[in-house]
Formats: sequence, C-alpha cells, structure tokens
Amino acid sequence: MTGYIIRRVLQSLLVVILVSIVTFLLTDLLPGGPARAILGPKATAQQIQDFIHANGYDRPLPVQYGIWVNNILHGNFGYSVKLNQSVGDLIVDRLPKTIVLMAISIGVALIIAVPLGIYQARRRNTIGDYTVTTLSFIFYAMPSFLLGLLLVLVFSTDLGWFSPTAPQTGNIGQILSQFNSLVLPVATLALITIATFSRYMRSSVMENLAQEYVRTALANGATDRRVMVVHVLRNALIPIATLLGLSLPALVAGAAITESVFNYPGMGYTFINEAEVRDYPTILGIALVISVATVIGSLLADIAYAALDPRVKYS
Amino acid sequence: MTIDPLGSGHEGSGPVLDVQDLRTEIAVSNGAVHAVDGVSFTVNRGELLGVVGESGCGKTMTALSIMRLLPAGGEIAGGRVLLGGEDLAAMSDREIRKVRGKRIGMVFQDPMTSLNPTIQIGRQVAEPLKLHTDLSAQQINDRVIEVLELVGLPQPAKRLSAFPHELSGGMRQRVMIARALACDPELLIADEPTTALDVTIQQQILELIDDLRSRLGMAVILVTHDLGVIAGRADRVAVMYAGRIVEVTDTNRLFGNPRHPYTEALFEALPENAAETGDKLYSIPGLPPDLVAPPVGCRFAARCRYATDQCRAEDPPLRGDIAGHDYACFFPVGDPEMQSATQTHQIRRHDTGSTENGVAESVREAKPLLEVKHLVKTFPITAGAVLRRKVGNVSAIADVSFTVADGETFGLVGESGCGKTTIGRSIVGMEKADSGAIRIDGTEFTSLHGRELRQRQRDTQLIFQDAYASLDPRMRVGSILAEPLVIHGVGTRASRTERVNELLGEVGLPRSAADRYPHEFSGGQRQRIGLARALALQPKLIVADEPVSALDVSIQAQILNLMSDLRRRHGLTYVFISHDLSVVRYLANTIGVMYLGKLVEIGPAEAVYNRPHHPYTRGLIDTIPVADPWASRAKNEDGVRGELPSAVNPPSGCRFRTRCPFAQEICAKEEPRLKSYGTEGHRAACHFPLEVGVGAAAGDGMAASN
Amino acid sequence: MTTPPQPEQLQPIPDLVPGAAATKPLEQQDQPVRPMWRMVLQVFLQNKLAVVGLGVVVFFVLFCFLGPLIYHSNQVLSNLRTADLPPGSPGFPLGSDDVGFDELGRLMVGGQSALEIGLAAAAIATVFGSLWGAVAGYLGGWVDAVMMRIVDTFLAIPSLFLVLLLASIITPTEGLLILVIAFSAWLGPARLVRGETLSLRTRDYVQAVKMMGGGNRRAILRHILPNAIGTIVVNATFQVADAILTLAALTFLGFGIAPPHADWGGMLSNGTNFTSNGYWWMIIWPGLCIVLIVVAFNFLGDALRDAFEVRLRKR
Repeated sequence: MTGYIIRRVLQSLLVVILVSIVTFLLTDLLPGGPARAILGPKATAQQIQDFIHANGYDRPLPVQYGIWVNNILHGNFGYSVKLNQSVGDLIVDRLPKTIVLMAISIGVALIIAVPLGIYQARRRNTIGDYTVTTLSFIFYAMPSFLLGLLLVLVFSTDLGWFSPTAPQTGNIGQILSQFNSLVLPVATLALITIATFSRYMRSSVMENLAQEYVRTALANGATDRRVMVVHVLRNALIPIATLLGLSLPALVAGAAITESVFNYPGMGYTFINEAEVRDYPTILGIALVISVATVIGSLLADIAYAALDPRVKYS
Repeated sequence: MTIDPLGSGHEGSGPVLDVQDLRTEIAVSNGAVHAVDGVSFTVNRGELLGVVGESGCGKTMTALSIMRLLPAGGEIAGGRVLLGGEDLAAMSDREIRKVRGKRIGMVFQDPMTSLNPTIQIGRQVAEPLKLHTDLSAQQINDRVIEVLELVGLPQPAKRLSAFPHELSGGMRQRVMIARALACDPELLIADEPTTALDVTIQQQILELIDDLRSRLGMAVILVTHDLGVIAGRADRVAVMYAGRIVEVTDTNRLFGNPRHPYTEALFEALPENAAETGDKLYSIPGLPPDLVAPPVGCRFAARCRYATDQCRAEDPPLRGDIAGHDYACFFPVGDPEMQSATQTHQIRRHDTGSTENGVAESVREAKPLLEVKHLVKTFPITAGAVLRRKVGNVSAIADVSFTVADGETFGLVGESGCGKTTIGRSIVGMEKADSGAIRIDGTEFTSLHGRELRQRQRDTQLIFQDAYASLDPRMRVGSILAEPLVIHGVGTRASRTERVNELLGEVGLPRSAADRYPHEFSGGQRQRIGLARALALQPKLIVADEPVSALDVSIQAQILNLMSDLRRRHGLTYVFISHDLSVVRYLANTIGVMYLGKLVEIGPAEAVYNRPHHPYTRGLIDTIPVADPWASRAKNEDGVRGELPSAVNPPSGCRFRTRCPFAQEICAKEEPRLKSYGTEGHRAACHFPLEVGVGAAAGDGMAASN
Repeated sequence: MTTPPQPEQLQPIPDLVPGAAATKPLEQQDQPVRPMWRMVLQVFLQNKLAVVGLGVVVFFVLFCFLGPLIYHSNQVLSNLRTADLPPGSPGFPLGSDDVGFDELGRLMVGGQSALEIGLAAAAIATVFGSLWGAVAGYLGGWVDAVMMRIVDTFLAIPSLFLVLLLASIITPTEGLLILVIAFSAWLGPARLVRGETLSLRTRDYVQAVKMMGGGNRRAILRHILPNAIGTIVVNATFQVADAILTLAALTFLGFGIAPPHADWGGMLSNGTNFTSNGYWWMIIWPGLCIVLIVVAFNFLGDALRDAFEVRLRKR
C-alpha cells in the first residue's frame, strides 16, 4: 500500500507540474500579451516595455517559466492592479473560506445522502424510492445558481427565516458563528451533492446486496438488518471515497457559483468577479491554486480508499 | 474433535432431512420457471447424498430451496422440507434463520465471492457462533480456531486476521467449510464446492468433506455436475433432469446398473469410458426443455433414443423394481434382476486390456508439423513507485520442447498456472516468447514480423475456452466467420458468403445462423461457431484451449465428436490443452504433462496414462475424479498433496519437489532432464522415476479393486 | 457536474435463472431475427421515465425551432410600455421582461442556442473523447501514460474555471462556445472509454483479432468501440445535459453571447435583479426550462443504460 500511495503522490505531482505549465502558457496567450493584460489598458507603452523587461517576458519561454515558478514558490502570484492587492495575500484570505464552505456542505450532504441511499435500496421500487429518485433527479438537474435563487426567494424574501447573503467578513471563527447566514449557501451546495451521492449510494447498496457473500451471511442465519449493517454497508461505503475524489472538480465549480450567488467572499466569488473585469493575475492565480487543491483533494480521497479497502495492495 | 459446545447431539432415528414433493418456481418476464418440480428425497445421518445433473436441471435450486435462500422472484410453491420432523418450508423467517448456519451449514461454489472481501476470516467464521450461541468472545475465538484447525487451515490462530484475498482458493474454500461447520450442523449442503478449484485441490476438499462427515456424523448433500466427483464419495446418488429426480439409488448400483436412459446416456457421453477404444462418444441430441412451459409426459422423451408415444403423453412415476432403486421411466434400460452391485459392475466394466488406439499408430511415421524448441516465457513483475523496476519474474514457460506430427492430436495437461495456455497462445502468435523457437512445417516463426508473421498465422488458429467470450457480441455470426477472410483479403464478398455457409455446414449449424448474434445460441452451438471460425482460413494446426471445460457432459461429447470428425476430414493437427486428463486421453495420441512451466512427462497417450513415470503425472491421474465408484475408492489415498507453489520464485531443481513424496536432496539441487523410458517417445523428467508396475495407475487399479 | 460513475444495477436477474432457457436453441426459435437495436429500443420504450424524457426533448425541439414560426413576438426592439408585465397579460401569456420582451417568445429563441450548443458540444466531446480513450487504453504503455496525464491535467482544473478562463479570453460566439464547452467536456468520455477499453482489450474476441492476424485499427474500430457503444451513448446523453448546464452557468455569469442574443441563463441572470420587486416569472420560466430539459436528458441516459445492460445480460 505504501508503494501505491507513493506512486499516487508522484503522479499527482506530475499533474500539478503540468497544470502549472498550462496556466503559464495561458498567460502567454492573453489578449494583447501578458504585459498589456496584466497592467490593463491604461498602461503606457513605456510602462509595458519596462514590465516586459523586468519580468523577463523577453526571455525564452523555458526561462520565463522558471522565473514564474520561482515566483510562485515564494508566494508571489503577482499583483492585481484592479484590486490593488497582492494576489498571494488575496488567496491566503479567500482559500480557507471556500474550504470551510465546502467541508460543511459535503459533511451535511454525506450525513443525509448515505442513509437516504440505503433507504432507497431497501425499499426499492416503492413510492418512497420513486419520490426520492425524482427529487434527486430534479436537484441534480438544477443549476446551483437557480437553486440558490429559489432558496433565497422562499426562505429569505418570503419567509424571512434566513439571511439572503452569506457571512461577508471576518475570520473562519466569525464565519462559523454566523449560522443564520450560512444556512442557505450550505443548503444549496449540499442539496445538489446529496442528489449525486444518494443515487450512487442506492446503486452501490443494491449491487452489494446482489453479491454472493450476502447469500453466505444469510446461510449463516444473519438477519437482513445484520447483513446490511455488518456486511453490505462497509463495502458500499468504501467507493464513496473514490466518488468524492472524482466529483471534487464539479463540487468546486458548484461552490464557486454558490459563492457568487450569496456574495460569499471565497475563491469562486473572487474568480468570477475578476474574470468579468479581466483581472488576469488574479484569475490565473486562483485557477492554479484551485487546481492544485483539487489534485490534493483527489489524492487524499484515493489514499482514504486504499486505507479502507484491504484488497488494495499495489496498483 | 470432542467439544460439542452447543450440546446439540445428533441423535434420533429416521432421516435427517426428508424432502417431499418440493416445487420451486421462479418468476421471469414470460411466466414462471418450474425450476424444481416435485422433488422428493431423504438424507440420513452420516450419509452423503450426491445430487447430480447438468446445468439448469434444478439441482442448485433444490439446495437453495431447502435453505429458503432463493433468488429474487423465487418461491417454494409446494411440498415439505422436513428437518428432524419440522417443515422448513412452512417456518416463519425468524424460525428459518435459527436453522440456517446452526442446523444446516452451506458451502457455495466460488469461495472468493462467497466470502466478504473486507472482513477478516476469523470474524466471518465467528458469525454463526455469534448469531446462534451464547458463547463469550473468548469461547467463540477458541471455537473458531478449533474449526479452522478441523478443516486443515495451517496455523489458524495466526490467520484469524487475514482477509479472504490473502488466501489461496483451496484455503478459502476451507474457510467457507469452517464457517458452515462452526455450529456443528446436522446437515451440510455443498453446492459445487470444488468446481472453481484445481483438480489436486478439488481432491483435497472432497476428502475433507468426506472425512468430516464420518468424524462428525453429519448428513451431507453434495450437489455437482461432475459424475466423477460423486462416484468415490457419495453413498447414494439422485440424478436430476429438468427439475425432477429421474433416478435415485445407492452409488454402486447407479454406476453399475443405471436404469434411466438419461443416466445411461450420461455415462456413455463420458470420454473416459471410450478412452481405450477411441470410439465415437454417445452424445445426447438436442437440449433440455424450457422449464417455463415444461413438456407433457417424460421430460427426457424428446432426447431419448427409446421414447415412445406413451413417454410423450404420460408422466412416468419415480419407482423401482427393487427397494432402494427408483427411476422415472416406462422402459428402463439395464438389468432388472441385478441385485448386487459388484456383479453389475463386472458387466458394465470395460475391458481394460489396453492397447493403443488405432489413430495413434498411423501417425507415428508422419513428419513433424509443429516443433517447439526450448521455449521460454517469463512475465516480469514490477514494483516501485517511480521507475517500475523488475522485482521478479513469473516463469510461465521454462525451456519446453516438443514436436507434434502432422495429423496428430497432442494433449497438453496441467493445473492452472502451469503455462499450458501461454504455450498455446505462443503457438498461434498471440504471445511472444522470450527465447526458443516455434516451427510450423519447418518454418521458424518466432522471428517473423508484420506481414510475414500474419501470413504464417493463417496456418495456426486458436479455439477459446469460453466460446461466448471469444465471439464479438455485436457482430452477426456471418460477419464473425467472414472476419478472418476479410483480414487476410481472401475472396470477394460473394465468395466469402459462400464460404461462411460452407463453414456453418461443416460444424452442423443451419445457414440461418449467419444472420443471428452469438447470444442467441447455446454454449455448444457457440463452440461450434468458434470451430467454424478457426477453420475459415484452412489452417494446418488448431490449438484448442480447454474447448469443452465450460460445457455439460452431453454437449461436451458433441463437440469432441465434431473435433474428431473435422480432423479426419481436413487432416488437421490439434494441440489440445486441458486440465482434464480424461478428455485429453480420449482425444490425444500424445500427452504432455506440464507442471509450473516445465514439461515433466511426455509420451504416447496410453503409455503416459497407464504407466506414468513422473510422480506428478501419477498424482494427477489419481486425483482426477473418475465416474467409477470402484476405481475412485481404490485410489482415494493417493493424489498430489499441498498447494501449487508460486511461479514467481519457483522451487530450485525439480519444481515438483515441494509436493513430491519421493523428493530427496538431489531434487533441490539438480534439475532433472527428460529421459526416455520403455515405450518409444515416452520421456519423463525425474530423478526417481516410478517403475512400471508401481505406477500402474487407473487401468490396473480398477482391476485390483475387485 | 459529473454523473455518478457507477452504473445502476437492476435487481432481479431473470435471465440468469437456471432453466429459464434465456437463449432458446436455434431450432426452437420461430420468430424472425430481431436486430439488436430493436431489442434495445423495446426495453427502452418499456421504461416510462424514458418515454417521458423523450417526450420532453421532442417538445422542446418543436417549441424552440417550430414555435417562433407559429407564435410571433417582438425580441428585437425594447418597449418599456410593455415591460414587467405579469403572466396572463394580454398578448403576453407568460409575461414580459424588464425591457418589454415577451417571455414566451424569448424562451423559444433562447432554447435554440441551448439545444444547438448542448448537442454540438456533446457530440464533439463524445467522438473525440471516445477515440482518445480507446486509443490510449488499447495501446497501453507509455502512449497511454502520456495521453492520460494530459487528461488528468485538464481534469484537475475544475471545468467551470477552465471554461470561464477561456471565455474571458475570447469574445464568445456560438461556434466558440461550442468549442470551449467541448474542450472541458471531452475529458469525461476519454476517461470512461479508456476504462472500458482496458477491460475490453483482454476479452477473448479482441484477442482473437490478434490471433487472426488483424491490426490495431481493426481491433479498436470494429470491436472495442462498438462494444463500448452502450457506455458511449449513455454518457453522450449526460454530456448534453451537462453542456446545457455549463452553458446556462456561463451565460448566467455574463460570459455568453452579447445581447440582444437570448438564452435561458441570461434571462435568469437578468431576472435576479428583480427578485425583490416580486417579478417571479422572470426567474421561474427560464429556470423551469433548464431543469426540464436537463432532467429529460438524464432520464434518457438512465433508461438507455438499463436498456443496454439488459441486452448484455442475455447470454
């Protein structure tokens, strides 16, 4: 298993390097060249000339890449003219907020989706199963911005139960304390995640119920309940780790839109806002960090899978 | 084993299990399958009842009905299942759960999938104890170790925390048996317990079940498709066909004097019964009936050579002329007067004055068609995080040489993982050997590339074990048969269509088959399609890799006969690969025996079979279940012990030494070379070869047993 | 927005019941030969959800492309006198938006781009991704390693970020939006088909091609891809749904084709400005359209998956 993990780590490292190359090359593709894109339309020709020279944009590509990587490794993601702030500082401020939102939402989603999927598998093809299936289809098909809007319309505008906007400022502790403001963004992200996970859990449980080891357990005199709790549940849950890793990019995207809908100052909200005004240093920096975070998340999911399933030894 | 923690002594008279007129139906889209249709039988304490039949006959459904573990849609529609007088069929779910695992233990076919992959074996064996006893954790732990020891798992205390995938197939099945026996049940039901295992392991597991039965005094129901498996073990046998028992009696009588035409036909279809003569096998025509709407009258009538109008109109009852031998037939075959089993045996016994069969003589002079010289193939095992460095080799073929004469059938025998399949694949060019030469008709072909290689490949074709898997499910049979012609640019579209029709005729399929898809055919028919495809390019040599091992006996006979016919008609040469020595012996002129990548013995079929010189060959012959209770019992004590060592680091010297009863120091140091013995072309690689006489196996063994 | 990776399992498996004679012997078959697609179609049509899904898709195609020919409405000139009309107003059955465009007519026109872009992007992504995956999986070795690291790299960048980045660089037109969406969508089928190929290439019938002397091209095009068609077609329907969602997200966030071009995401985005005014129809109608079409394609995909599996189970 250690071998597997080491190989998986190195593979992830390779992907991170490739992602950095792609991001770097995108900088070069920017309209009007990197300097114009970064300094903005108001910059003078002299400013651009100086910028190009100072940042090495007149050197060969590999050298430029080297400089760029070196900067990033030192936390220097460039400077956002539009926000008048260093991109590195911006990310340090925003990344934890996104992680908090996602962690809470995924946690809530798992707590609801797993029992729901088991319920559906046990009561398959009953009214209850059909209802949940239909609902999960609808939530699955619903764009997060629409779901967020509807939740705001119903629970904030009409009923006035929760705040229509997410916590705006403060550190993580302060954000967590603003429960009322967190409910709707978390609900938005969680509902969509539940739709995916409960569908998966349902088929995973059903698949395991059809396995021969279930018949063996029954032949030993086990009750249906015991079969579910002792035998099936564990085997059905293990692949959830993989599913989590696989759906991480989609979850990140969902989180971004949710942040945007609720004005939650995380990575996604910042990215979308700055993309609109073509603030390239910021959006490239965020894209890079988000990608690396996704790779790390997937890696952790795979390691969790390997740790949970005794069959995984090599490869 | 003295401890009886449950205090559930199995006293009392009368049968342990009494099944009366059991009917089981399974709902399907177009009605209900009458999977078990009026089955009655009893099993007594300490008795081993064999239930035998071909796939789909209802034997497994009978076993599952007893436990009430039917698949979705399955339901017991009628009858009683009396366990010690209590009707299991009428019990509530709660009551039946108290029977499962406590009073009846069950072992399934595939131990890999039947054990929970993510739970340690110790906990799995403990499950029935937890459910049915009040034992403390410590007591349960002790009992688990005790039963694991009982089933022969080495060092059970250390293995408690092992996961199923960490054990070998044979050991996993032992764990399954331990799990079934943990609560000391009155009845053990074993459903094809050895079908997924190698012959040498099969022998060990059967022996274990037999031994446990006599030691624990359990009743055992052994469900199998293999007449050989029950012959040496069962006290009584029930033969099932199309959801019913067609004949039931004690083992000796059944094998000595079968009365039902179906039973008789099954015996005649066995290749071992025609091995000496090389006669055409009897094959039962047609296929079993559809059990959604079973035919009126005798269900076997449509395939029976003796059937009359009465058979087709009336249902024959299950009864007999003498006590203890019942059969469902109006016109029983065999001898109604026969009482004593041994007498009958002598009548049915074949004359074993073994001469080599006619075909073998005639090809002896022929020139070699296939020459395999010093073939070596290793598969590297890689590990390491970054650079996949090689950590070892699986030695699949280690310096194997043999020649096959034109028109000959060469049988290659061995257990799984011995390299026989790799040799087959190398011959047809699907695998590239590391070194050594393969010559077809004098042309070296391992060094060829590209077009030339492809041209040579026309001469050698392969038939796969799983015919269905070898046919593209998305292609019509016509396109499948034409594909080799298209690849090699043979003929026009019209001429290819003609050739396809011709090929279908060759293998006995109607022309309309060309428009159908593989899934519309039965197993035997699919293997015919596989044969037709292999013939398309008019090859000289056909490599058949276990072509009949997935088929039922009666269908197997059809395919073996067809292969013989085709050989005669087209002058084909076969390399016939199989784990089943009796099939190989029937078909082959020459037999090569492989063990862990080495050819350990080779020679004329009869010589190898009757006078083996290598202890492994001898052991293999002894482990094959033979459908002859007298022969089986005579040789029960022999066989190959232990498990196949890993091919990653094969034993030094003689690779068989770790399991050989005669192994000495030299065997570990020096690799034995093939040396000639007696009959021409008979060679074996052993430092301590068996002398003729000592190794006189099955043939003489049978005679001696009388 | 990924689809759950595990195929649903159907419960009772009647074809595997021994004695059921699922494959009638040749001699006993009297009905004419039925091509495989008809069997798939038959099972497909037995599925009620599938028929509903198909119905909804057909409805939207007619609604969007034939609708404007029958129902004429003004979508070019803004008219503040007809602005903000609630549904049921004369001449405006579904109401009007803030500049006086008729909602019903706008939904028709807006749906055109959703369907066109969704279908085209899914088609490109499916064809390209399937070929990529099949070639990588079949050839294996370093070719596979290189090809799949490329996939991993782009997969690591959450698709929304990738698409937004690209959309912020280019000036979107319908053709470019198709390419941008397809560029992030082909990764899914590539990975899926590669996985399928890895298992298919060890099948005896693919091995048999080698034995007969056939080449790689033949193995991939004649055997692997046709046998992966179930996976590919099923995934393609989910791809359409995902592409429509991605497009809606893009246009919602303001990265769509510039006005007066109409699309559902843009309508929705515009509607969010008036939630506090109680103009619910500006959100509900486009939202409903998006959810309906996405659910419909998901139903289709699920039903197709079941249909293909039943066929494969007949052995």
